Amino acid sequence: MSVKVNRRKFLKMLGWGGAGTALTGCDLPTTVTLEEGKEEVVSYLMPEEYAIPGIGVWYASTCTQCEAGCGLHGRVREGRVLKVEGNPDSPVNHGKSCMMGQSTVQAHYNPDRITSPMMRKGSTLQAVSWDEAMSALTSKIGPDSGVKGDRVGMVTGTVSGHQAVIIDELLAQVGSKNHYVHEVINTSVWSSVCRDMLGDEMPKLNFDKAGVILSFGADFLGTWISPVHNMGEYAKFRKGARGSLIQVEPKMTLTGGNADLWVPAKPGTEGALALGIANFILERGWNAVDVPSSVGKSLSQYTLTAVEKVTGVPVSKIKRIASMLTERGPSLVIAGASTENHENGYDAVASVMLLNLVMGNIGKTIEASAKFPEKALRAKQGNTKDLLLLAKALKDNKLDVLFTYNTNPAFTAPAVLQVSESLSGVGFKVAFSMFPDETTLQADLVLPIHSGMEDWGTHVPAYQPDTSSVLSLQQPLMEPIHKETRGFGDIMLSLLKLRNKDFGKFADYYSYLQTAVANMPADVTSNVEGASKDIWTNMLQKGIVKAKVSTNDLSPKLVDMKFKVKQDNSGYPMHLVPSARLGLWDGRHANIPWLQEFPDQIAKVVWGSWAELHPKKAAELGVKNGDYVRVTSASGSIETQVYIHKGIHPDAVSVPLGQGHDEFGRYAKGRGVNPLKILNPLMERRTGELATHATRVKVTNAHRHEKLVHLGGSESQVGRKFVKTISVDQLRRTEGEA
Amino acid sequence: MQVERRTLLRKLVCSLRGRMRMKTVTIKQLLSFSVLAFVVSILPAKSYAELPVPAHITPPVGEHESPVVPQPIEFPHDRHVKDMKINCMYCHTYARRSKVAGIPPTSKCMGCHKVIATDKPRIQKLTEYWEKGESPKWLKVHDVPDYVHFTHEKHIRKFVFDAKFPVEDVQQVCGLCHGEVQGMTVAEKKKPLNMGFCQRCHEANGGPGDCWACHK
Repeated sequence: MSVKVNRRKFLKMLGWGGAGTALTGCDLPTTVTLEEGKEEVVSYLMPEEYAIPGIGVWYASTCTQCEAGCGLHGRVREGRVLKVEGNPDSPVNHGKSCMMGQSTVQAHYNPDRITSPMMRKGSTLQAVSWDEAMSALTSKIGPDSGVKGDRVGMVTGTVSGHQAVIIDELLAQVGSKNHYVHEVINTSVWSSVCRDMLGDEMPKLNFDKAGVILSFGADFLGTWISPVHNMGEYAKFRKGARGSLIQVEPKMTLTGGNADLWVPAKPGTEGALALGIANFILERGWNAVDVPSSVGKSLSQYTLTAVEKVTGVPVSKIKRIASMLTERGPSLVIAGASTENHENGYDAVASVMLLNLVMGNIGKTIEASAKFPEKALRAKQGNTKDLLLLAKALKDNKLDVLFTYNTNPAFTAPAVLQVSESLSGVGFKVAFSMFPDETTLQADLVLPIHSGMEDWGTHVPAYQPDTSSVLSLQQPLMEPIHKETRGFGDIMLSLLKLRNKDFGKFADYYSYLQTAVANMPADVTSNVEGASKDIWTNMLQKGIVKAKVSTNDLSPKLVDMKFKVKQDNSGYPMHLVPSARLGLWDGRHANIPWLQEFPDQIAKVVWGSWAELHPKKAAELGVKNGDYVRVTSASGSIETQVYIHKGIHPDAVSVPLGQGHDEFGRYAKGRGVNPLKILNPLMERRTGELATHATRVKVTNAHRHEKLVHLGGSESQVGRKFVKTISVDQLRRTEGEA
Repeated sequence: MQVERRTLLRKLVCSLRGRMRMKTVTIKQLLSFSVLAFVVSILPAKSYAELPVPAHITPPVGEHESPVVPQPIEFPHDRHVKDMKINCMYCHTYARRSKVAGIPPTSKCMGCHKVIATDKPRIQKLTEYWEKGESPKWLKVHDVPDYVHFTHEKHIRKFVFDAKFPVEDVQQVCGLCHGEVQGMTVAEKKKPLNMGFCQRCHEANGGPGDCWACHK
């Protein structure tokens, strides 16, 4: 049944409703949400002195919603965590938090959490006791199992701190080297280039010291490296003498939306643009650092007109970017997903880094980072190369036992890799998981783990934004909600005890962590704030511990570059941009209603998928907002609604990541489409990463329409001047006094 | 001993109904019932002495009747308050510090009842809970909707501590909203606690009139 309510009717109802409320007055007994005689109030048996019902106590912990490792403060009342905020002591996020951090409570209280261990019996997963689960695990992986080490694999998301240590330890015990670290949203290519050209995988970027930032597809306000940290730095960059931001990308991201100049270069040609700008700067002699003549010579082919031809960016704009870089410097040039994830990604990022070298940014806006002193605790960053390696190992039937933790390869792998299908060839799959996602439901043994707010852990952020290195403590904010979940560390510890009796002295992961933290190197333990406190107490209170480290200056060197643009489009004229956004991320947060409800920063669409098309392309296809289109690659096709927006290259179609789950609970399942599924198995040539932005597609009208659910509804003010605007020319002429 | 008017009336009507169902009621009986009912109805409305209203407060106006909420243990407020003269805030210790007054922790009950009145069935039930390591699951009696932010702490501060009102008489202040618990066993809701009730008191005593003060 549908009741049609238009605006007029709605206002009418609102009017009568309001009048009704006023007439009835305030003395009628309230009937809403009263729980008198219904709700139980249970007192403490023996209260802690500091626990006062109704008053929140804040505890420090670490956010586990993405890999940035932001510090959190969680407000706990009557034993339950109600709200989280950023930890002001953390140099990563300086007391701020993003929407994913804020919604961590919805992951924690999610109704679709797995509440007991499950084992595959026949074709179904059935609830079993922990004893049964652990004895099954022991029989398959224990010392008497006869398992061959090289046939054991573990696939995880980015891991760091002591979790990484115990994963390493377990794999070493069984004699395996197969640790696949997989993240779809990563900066692997950037890191490779930084390692090769600067000698530092994750250099410290000084946004605040830059006068102009040129970003080649790095959505640093949304999904790049450490978004919350970047937002703070970006605010400083824009304050005072306002810095200028130039964004080169095929599809407008949150960062692109904030840019002063947004440049849609032809996808896959960003490197040429960077080289063209570098060449122009060298020609004019605007460079701060001299480059070898051989470099200058090889750059000379990137003339303005040649670059215009390749990239589609007009000569005037290239000149303007070059002069902005020079005049408004110091500059900072960075590169992200839409530049990295092409077959020529490495060379494109190297071209970007060359621009930094030419502009003399190394040592000014790009500095050496403070690496955490204990190497074993440093972050193992996820990538897509390991996904390809995993897919190959699965296909070649090289694994008998596979552990999965904090990652969902059955969802994120392109369909053509057949990860989901070949998983069934693995004899024993063990999933450490909170939710029934695609990978978990294919497992033979599902071990329900604590949420990030119930578990202990330590995290060393991959990106260290301070001059001293930070380790962030994740401590439980409350008792586990479900009786049958266990900590990841606790389960791992019980596995470690099977082979190494030394671990027997630790009753649980908590006691292991305490000992391990106390035994960290002296350069960590000696730098505890508040001399009277020990490191553990300090970490419990502050949530972080800082380690003073000395950093060397970066020593930039050039790499061999062979930048090439692929001109092949055999029947697939469009470029597919699988765009990521702060919110649903790579799809791991699709089961969080707050984040589903949160409109996309550009398209404003909620609870669904869409394909972003340029108005020109939409007119060609004869589609309007809400019409369905079919996006077909050589590897498959998806069908979704169109959202028409000028902020996209006319030859590109963008489908956001996050939706299209076949499983993953009530909020995620059966909603939208997953663009990763139709990616071609193309690799970045130098690093072996999956070239997620290199897939060519064709878009056809599916001749079907549904109303597109998005906020705003209209892209213009329809001449009603809600927001008064003035043209730049007029402003210049009148100094704003129109 | 005085009998409460409401209870007596209810008993009378019930017995009348029973007789009518049996069709044995006569005119004479009906008349005597009427007379009895009249006599009961003119009995004083309250069975216990009303507490004095503190001089610095204009009391909120409004009465409320609702069925007694059955509790796991029939806790006798009358015994503790009237007979033992225990201060409200001795047990509801969070009232002065927090938005909620709090149910006293079971350890507090046991502090006395390890030795006092251990032969009483209610105390034995309490001891059972304690030994099991559980707290009784009390049912909420006083509640305001979720969109109302009421805080005990501010009210106690204003009417007791800031007003230099003797803390030993705090029951006179608590009673303005909670009724006279000295006459109850388990707590009963005697005041409406609706917006009109709150609003009138705020107007009379200079409380905030801003919507945002309570609705946030």
